Amino acid sequence: MLQRTLPTLVLTACLLGGWEIYCRQSGVSPLILPAPTEVISALIRERSEIGRHAVSTLSVAALGFSLSVSFAVLTSILLHFKPWLRRGLMPLFVTSQTIPLVALAPLMILWFGFGMLPKVLLVVLVTFFPILLSLLSGYRQTPPAFRDLLASMGAGRWTIFRRATLPSARAAFLAGLRISATYAIVATIFAEYAGARRGLGIYILTAKNNFRADLVLSAVVVSATLTLALLGLIRLLDWLSARGPEARGNA
Amino acid sequence: MLEIQNLTLHADGRSLIKDLSLVVPGDGITALIGPSGCGKTSVLKWMAGILPDAFQTHGTALLDGKPISLPHRGLCYQPQSDALFPWLTIAENAAMGLEIAGLPRRIALAQVTALFAPFGLAGCEAQFPAQLSGGMRQRAAFLRTIVQDSRLVLLDEPFSALDAVTRLRMQDWLLSRLSDRPRGVLLVTHDLHEATGIADRILVMAANPGRIIAEIDVPGQPGARTEAILADLRETLKTLLLEQTP
Ligand SMILES: Nc1ncnc2c1ncn2[C@@H]1O[C@H](COP(=O)(O)OP(=O)(O)OP(=O)(O)O)[C@@H](O)[C@H]1O
Ligand SMILES: [Mg+2]
Repeated sequence: MLQRTLPTLVLTACLLGGWEIYCRQSGVSPLILPAPTEVISALIRERSEIGRHAVSTLSVAALGFSLSVSFAVLTSILLHFKPWLRRGLMPLFVTSQTIPLVALAPLMILWFGFGMLPKVLLVVLVTFFPILLSLLSGYRQTPPAFRDLLASMGAGRWTIFRRATLPSARAAFLAGLRISATYAIVATIFAEYAGARRGLGIYILTAKNNFRADLVLSAVVVSATLTLALLGLIRLLDWLSARGPEARGNA
Repeated sequence: MLEIQNLTLHADGRSLIKDLSLVVPGDGITALIGPSGCGKTSVLKWMAGILPDAFQTHGTALLDGKPISLPHRGLCYQPQSDALFPWLTIAENAAMGLEIAGLPRRIALAQVTALFAPFGLAGCEAQFPAQLSGGMRQRAAFLRTIVQDSRLVLLDEPFSALDAVTRLRMQDWLLSRLSDRPRGVLLVTHDLHEATGIADRILVMAANPGRIIAEIDVPGQPGARTEAILADLRETLKTLLLEQTP
């Protein structure tokens, strides 16, 4: 564990140290580039305010992400069993991914107001497709011999799916979850930035308008922490659900 | 007894199997040999009811004289790869056929674990397939096949991935498992020593289109055959197989 994370820790420490030294030596104004220590102390000073916004961001991201995962799993099953539907819908899904976030976020606010709904929708729109795609490609990785064996035992399509196809897609699904999880927090902040009463996005906007680079960076630290926490949760899920060689590979 | 009558398989506009008829008795081993690509696996897959939709099929299967639809409980198929699921333990893998047949999980597991010792798998119940040697994996796959209590088992080259010594051991082992639980076996193999050593009857297939060109009864009990007879038999089979290769 320590051996694997050591390079990351050393590198991060070097970067932060260099940044700190640069700020102190060059005399750059803290309004433009605050040192890491100043960012941390701002974060500690403003913790209750930032915490309030972070909770709001996290709840939107978590709700959107869970909806997205459930929706993607259901859709993937539907598309798996109905190939014609897959052929019809996939181009639409792909096209939906080409709409830039800067266009989508304001439109969502315009149509659905400043509440939670437009932000949750944006998270779903951004995270849904990678999960769906990873599931469908995972299903395709099922060894044909596994399906054949079950069919020869008299298993129906649904049993074959549950016993062979779904477990075969486990690794691909988790990879898709990881990719989508990194988008979830960012998409929420983006939506808040486009218009919200609460959340890290609006906090960043206000801090920026007040020329408080230290607070902007504090919010960035918090959002990064949230994303890492989400990734950690997925890692835990991975570990808890692993069986056989996968379980030993993760130990 | 399983009878296949006039089986014809078409794919991509060419006929892979044409008018193939064969009989597998209710006990003993019937070996099916033939050149690579002649359609042995396809015939077995058809019997198992898992031939891809790309094939057009004609033909009847009779079990004890009655026509059956495929897949059928009476026929149990073991694919060319052992097809053990890597995320299931050996016991769970072995119990799969029973569970699919509707047995509660607990009872299915109890039934298979009782057989782990005679199958030479004692202590492997909770292990995963990746932890087992090739021979043990084949034993586990065969355990999964044989607990299903079907009338006949269809084995597609069960020992071809094993080293020579393990293969010999597994052949003896197969014979003694079958004497515990007698049933008819259709065994696809490439190995003439295997066919003559353990089979009671040998069916020889030709390719393009796939059909049966010879049926040979092997004299004597498996294991009690003289090397002279077997060598003669192998020579006959070799001639049959070589004649048809263009
Ligand atoms: N899905 C498919 N569609 C069309 N042709 C197929 C399909 N699957 C297999 N074939 C053809 O069927 C032929 C016979 O294949 P099969 O696996 O039954 O032979 P085999 O006798 O078992 O060969 P081997 O001894 O190498 O295992 C092959 O030439 C292959 O090209
Ligand atoms: Mg084959």
